[in-house]
Amino acid sequence: MITTSTTAVAAEISDIDVSARRPLLYLIGSGLLWLVVSGIFAVINAVQLHTPEFLAHCSLLTYGRVHAAQETAFLYGWAGNAGVAIALWLLSRLGLTIFRGAVVATLGGVFWNIGVLLAVAGILIGDATSFPGLELPTYTHWLLLVSFGFMAVPGVLAWSGRKHETAFAAQWYALAALFLFPWFFSIAEVSLFLAPGRGTAQSVIAAWYAQNVYSLWLAPIALGALYYLLPKISAKPLPHYEFASLGFWTLIAVACWTGPRVLVNGPVPAWIPTLSIAAAAVVLMHFWIVWLNVRGVFATGGSVVLKFAAFGFASYLLVGIADAVFSLRSVARVTQFTYMQDALTALALIGSITLIFFAAIYYIAPRLCGRAWPSSALVRAHFAAAIIGFVVLVVALAVAGWVQGQALNSTASFADIAARTRPWLLVATAAQALLLIGNLLVTFHFLKIVACPREEAAALTFRTPVAMEASAS
Amino acid sequence: MRNGITFFLGLFCALGLSWGALVVGTRSQYAGIKPHYDDNEGDNFPQRPAGVAARGQLVYQDLGCAACHTQQVRRPGIGSDKERGWGDRQTVARDFLYEARPQLGTMRIGPDLANYAARAEPAGMIPDRLLAYLYNGHGGMPAYPFLFEKRKIAGERAEHALKVRTEAGYEIVPTGRANDLVAYLLSLNHKYEFPEAQPATHDKGEEGEKK
Repeated sequence: MITTSTTAVAAEISDIDVSARRPLLYLIGSGLLWLVVSGIFAVINAVQLHTPEFLAHCSLLTYGRVHAAQETAFLYGWAGNAGVAIALWLLSRLGLTIFRGAVVATLGGVFWNIGVLLAVAGILIGDATSFPGLELPTYTHWLLLVSFGFMAVPGVLAWSGRKHETAFAAQWYALAALFLFPWFFSIAEVSLFLAPGRGTAQSVIAAWYAQNVYSLWLAPIALGALYYLLPKISAKPLPHYEFASLGFWTLIAVACWTGPRVLVNGPVPAWIPTLSIAAAAVVLMHFWIVWLNVRGVFATGGSVVLKFAAFGFASYLLVGIADAVFSLRSVARVTQFTYMQDALTALALIGSITLIFFAAIYYIAPRLCGRAWPSSALVRAHFAAAIIGFVVLVVALAVAGWVQGQALNSTASFADIAARTRPWLLVATAAQALLLIGNLLVTFHFLKIVACPREEAAALTFRTPVAMEASAS
Repeated sequence: MRNGITFFLGLFCALGLSWGALVVGTRSQYAGIKPHYDDNEGDNFPQRPAGVAARGQLVYQDLGCAACHTQQVRRPGIGSDKERGWGDRQTVARDFLYEARPQLGTMRIGPDLANYAARAEPAGMIPDRLLAYLYNGHGGMPAYPFLFEKRKIAGERAEHALKVRTEAGYEIVPTGRANDLVAYLLSLNHKYEFPEAQPATHDKGEEGEKK
């Protein structure tokens, strides 16, 4: 009896992956291609920082346009595609349901990518809006919003058809991300474009939106992946799991207040940045709870998935602490308006989001393809490039930012500031190039695993018994 | 978390609170900001930007100038914004009342431009000289040659051609976009005084920022 039920469940789990195969591989693949595109823009940008005349004669590639294109390709191309794929996979797996709505999701994914392509092209010809994190030209907004709705359909179906009434932490996070993005995106659409607020009210709303993209959309997906992967791979239940829901609600309810802290000393009513700075301290509670739950990720060695996850989780915690520290007025007076902001963005996006997404992709892709990764050398090379590139980039930008901030607060000339930051910007360029190489490697490797035929023997080993599934939380 | 409805309601309230305060609250506070009537000048400030400057702001936004230049001055005592001559007072929400898209910016790879016109005039930055800077690049700023047209001199040299070095028999003429951008830059000046932008007389710090 036990054997039959285990076999039945094993077959079911495997069916989930078979039914999810095409849409999810498509989303992850297009995400990786966007990551490469964004990496190329990032290298151009990094060179322009120390050699301003680089490609300056080309109107498509001014520093500002490339910067916006890079951010858009990264957020909506890479993180959007890969994040939705991971969220959908988590919801189907934990709901123990066949992946329903695959065609709708694929269709949504196709139009989402058309939208991102239009957006990046539009930015290069000068149609960007001036809001950081929301540079998408206005004509792509509705297309992106509607196609996101289509992409999220399997997630909603998997949630409503879930076999366990009680949901796991990974499910809350994944579902919250799918639900909240369209909501705050449409709020921003109304308050910034359809009926724009007056003057710098727009800056407040844009800062609120940009923070939500990270805290309410991408970070929950990454956390969902962590809450799923760690107990799954280490085969141990998460400690202090009873606090997980408190951690979840602190993130959702408080993190969305922290955005306008970037406007400290700016031309906005003073209560707004003050409130945000306070919220950045309160949200530390969330980081403490997820640390209690997921800190086991630092103890386990061996698996490349957990190695990526450990670095990603470490940077996620650092982002929380750094956001609280660098928003303090005494610190912000030096670091505001400097490369330190770029360092923090890199810590958040290239560190926590991307590294945890890589962990999830290294876990999910073999299951979707029914075979192991073809080359362990490629995995190791990618890991080395991603980690070294990321750490060097963050350190170089942080030092450059501190030097720049000190110099800006004196009366040093801008030529002098450029000369003082130049060595660090050169290091940052090398780091961006290394990251690009790593991303090319993982994209190549991903295309290879998709193209290779299934290995039945390997596929069997992935069919984990239901006990493992349940221990996920 | 057994109940799906409670979960969604929770999500809705959690985001709804910050939406209510930071989006709706901010907007309603801004709706109450009025221009300041200055008795000495006999006029309201800030004033609406001229059409050519508003067009120039679109060029500024489209080229992504805000990626390197801020347009927000911190109050005297924070950093050296005042010492660098970027402005004698901090910028406040009222300064941007009539701007379609305030370009506050987040990075100071180049100087702040909130009051660029105020220091351009004494420094002798006439439009021609600014155009030449845009054409050639200046300091760390790259050149923007695509804002200019290089054309063969037919008959006489055009009056508005730039006085920059170029091939013999050719002249460099600014496009409309270049002229709009320069007009915008030379309109950036918060020269009036607002009560809320005055530094606090007692050393309480935050008072000066409040509305």
